[in-house]
Amino acid sequence: MIPLKLTVNGRAVDTTVAPSTLLIDLLRGPLALTGTHAGCDTAQCGACTVLVNGESVKSCSLLAVQAQGAQVTTVEGLAKGDALHPLQQAFMDCHGLQCGFCTPGMVMTSACLLAKNPSPSDAEVQHALEGNLCRCTGYVKIVAAVQQAATTMAGAQA
Amino acid sequence: MNAPMEATRFGSGQSVRRIEDPALVTGQGRYTDDETLPGQLHLVFLRSPYAHADITGIDTSAAKGMPGVVAVYTGADLVAAGVKPMAGVPFPRPDGKPGATAPRRALAHGRVRFVGEAVAVVVADSIDQARAAADAIVVDYNELPSVVNAFDAMAPGAPALCDDAPDNISAGMAHGNVAAAAAAFAAAAHTVSVDVDNQRLAPSPIEPRAVSARVPADGPDAGRLVVRLSSQMPTAVRGGLADAIPGLTTENVRVLVGDVGGGFGMKTGIYPEDIAIGYAAWTLKRPVKWRADRIDEFLGAVHGRDVVSRAELALDANGKALALRVKGYANVGAYGTATGIAIQVLIGPWVSTSIYDIPVIDEQFVAVLTNTTPTGAYRGAGRPEAIYLTERLMDAAARKLQMDPAELRRRNMIRPDQMPYTNAMGQVYDTGAFAQILDQGLDLADWNGFATRRADSQARGKLRGRGIATFLEWTGGNALQETVTVNVTADGYIELGSATQAMGQGIATSYAQLAVDVFGVDIDRIRVLQGDTDRANGFGSAGSRSLFTGGSAVSAASKKTVDDAKALAADALEAPAADIEYKSGRFTVAGTDLGIGLFELAAKQAGGRITATDGATAGGPTWPNGCHVCEVELDPATGEVAVVAYASVNDIGRVVSPTIVEGQIEGGAVQGIGQALCERVAYDRETGQLQSASFMDYAMPHADGFLGFKTKFDTSIPCKTNALGVKGVGELGTIGATPAVVNAVIDALDHAGLGAAAEAIQMPVTAERVWRALNLKQFDPSPYRA
Repeated sequence: MIPLKLTVNGRAVDTTVAPSTLLIDLLRGPLALTGTHAGCDTAQCGACTVLVNGESVKSCSLLAVQAQGAQVTTVEGLAKGDALHPLQQAFMDCHGLQCGFCTPGMVMTSACLLAKNPSPSDAEVQHALEGNLCRCTGYVKIVAAVQQAATTMAGAQA
Repeated sequence: MNAPMEATRFGSGQSVRRIEDPALVTGQGRYTDDETLPGQLHLVFLRSPYAHADITGIDTSAAKGMPGVVAVYTGADLVAAGVKPMAGVPFPRPDGKPGATAPRRALAHGRVRFVGEAVAVVVADSIDQARAAADAIVVDYNELPSVVNAFDAMAPGAPALCDDAPDNISAGMAHGNVAAAAAAFAAAAHTVSVDVDNQRLAPSPIEPRAVSARVPADGPDAGRLVVRLSSQMPTAVRGGLADAIPGLTTENVRVLVGDVGGGFGMKTGIYPEDIAIGYAAWTLKRPVKWRADRIDEFLGAVHGRDVVSRAELALDANGKALALRVKGYANVGAYGTATGIAIQVLIGPWVSTSIYDIPVIDEQFVAVLTNTTPTGAYRGAGRPEAIYLTERLMDAAARKLQMDPAELRRRNMIRPDQMPYTNAMGQVYDTGAFAQILDQGLDLADWNGFATRRADSQARGKLRGRGIATFLEWTGGNALQETVTVNVTADGYIELGSATQAMGQGIATSYAQLAVDVFGVDIDRIRVLQGDTDRANGFGSAGSRSLFTGGSAVSAASKKTVDDAKALAADALEAPAADIEYKSGRFTVAGTDLGIGLFELAAKQAGGRITATDGATAGGPTWPNGCHVCEVELDPATGEVAVVAYASVNDIGRVVSPTIVEGQIEGGAVQGIGQALCERVAYDRETGQLQSASFMDYAMPHADGFLGFKTKFDTSIPCKTNALGVKGVGELGTIGATPAVVNAVIDALDHAGLGAAAEAIQMPVTAERVWRALNLKQFDPSPYRA
């Protein structure tokens, strides 16, 4: 077992993990953050996407020990208290989710996108979401949700 | 002050934020794998690497001795324990003999018949321990010749999958009148024919299946098998477990379903895995959980479609269809099931004449066993296959008669004055104004402005094509009855208990809106309780049935609750029941200011609640229909196909939740586009290996697709066979999109100079196929080989 210190959703975590433990298994298991989902075996579906030091990362493809000292944000850490993140609000407003299983990954990938590119074109949103699969929505309302969130966040900055 | 209050109530017909969503966007959903049972063991399946082989021995001794291993079971163990095989085929073969299939067992016994069939399970303290032990199981296989294609399987000398069907024909069905059709074809001014491979698909909800099972030692469920899983049909799972596992009855099995991460038909009914897990927990009396890996899903979850057909249409000189002839060979996989076979030989044919007045049919379907994963329900389930044929034939006929494809369709449409209309399969349509839908569809798509857009594409070096599909579908699964129990609670909630099942389609929100219509309270007062066989049992959610059956029951049970509560209010207010009025959560005595709130009244009752149960039975299926128009651009340099316009007008009767149904149509259409352009389950013909066993190899639509859907609903044609006037919506988009897209591609190829030869192109219409067609005038050989 390897000692591991990291910060998850602003909370310090001090634990030990097996060398083979994936970040997703640490999150879903010992940390009980089950909003991060496993949908495939091959890093294709993106349902497991979290932010590691601000970068969107597929947590099924990262060893937990690779997050040593990192700041990890999961979908549970996005809202500020009772105030939803603009992306979470926008996915609800725009019907950007149906079964909701891919949604945490979609939201986290989009959060990374908007942090780097606050006013993306539709094509840039689509490109950013290439690694996230949704089987329900056909993506149309997901892209609309990301654009609404971009507008909301731009308004909050102004 | 009324307006803002009404705005928060959100009755039917209004766009509302879904009540499901706050939990799902914050990561608080409760999918099966999110729950960890105390003392939980982990189960993994060992699956066959061979498509067809005799199991000559299994040595589990090493696996059993490995760290953390609690149990290892093989097919032989389950047979010895009396675990029964799953249900067989209820349809006869074309020769009149009973339908044939080898017995499907939870774990293969003696022989494996497809790659991925489960042969053993390991139960261990951790997943890693279970996986390591599964690797240590030694299975001796004697490999047998295999077959993965229906025509290969029917060929003389092909390996047989079961003794009762040396020709591998599991079942078959013939519909219509062979002689009448032959006469119509002989006399016809025009005939057209298409050979079509409706290729095999993987339904692929993003949540893999997960099952947990436990036998509590104490508490209310002491001694019962409690199974939690991701399913559209909890009651069917309960029945399947009770049938298979000795010692179980429907009374001592409880099936729970939490959030379901997509179903699309794939999570209907019971799976062999469910039985194996139930058996392990029941035998060990310890909690056991399994979560499928994606490869488990590609290998072990049902596949959809997979039928090769020759379809022919006879027409008179004016383009009026006289007869439809279809011969179809469905590859139903290694084991025949009622669902997998009915979809192809019966349910598809029900809609094969679609919205057209085609008096004569001759349809013959054969279900063939092969060494592939068994097929089952996938969004549309038979209707996409049938409608695709009909819509391809309509376009082929228009091309031959040099008519506008919309005009040819119009000439053949059933008129509203023919309703109720009985089609050639004996199915009765209650309503439909198909020409009215067509007109709106053409308008929305700017059908007549196409030439300008084609010229514009041409100027950019692209080949533009236009495709149309006008069609209907059958919904309801012929399970037309539902019951709902309403509980009004003292703490201020109205609970609706239903045996239908949420799976992402938003049914809880739609039910809540219907309850708001009756109770006049804010939507946040409504809670929808599903997924517990101790509370409600029924068919579950499949076949786009939930709203018109379950929603009608919500309405009926809500009204009964109010009526029953009026008597309670009369007691509480010491007034005659006839004088009690109800409005917006409050009972009043007419003409006075005496009154009592609904929840206050509930608090006064024994148990602190008002309970009422009522149901509704629809008078028949619903027949949603639509006009979908697609435009594509082909890149002649690469063969790439891009959807560049998509307009649809849909008749789903009355609309309860406008945003939700738009999401159903558009999300469904993208699945249909997936079949048209990219998805295919591929098996190696020699080895029977599944070649498309991951999301790297199975090409589902990604986020880079088309965004500009124009989607409208004509709500002026309510369904007449259910109380709400609604028609099913879940599968409509998927059914319409596939032919609309492929017809558009063929139109573009035709216009590029290939003419009617373009009709030979097969799905998925990949860049390679388009490029070869355009540049080499080369098409795949016909998939039809009968």
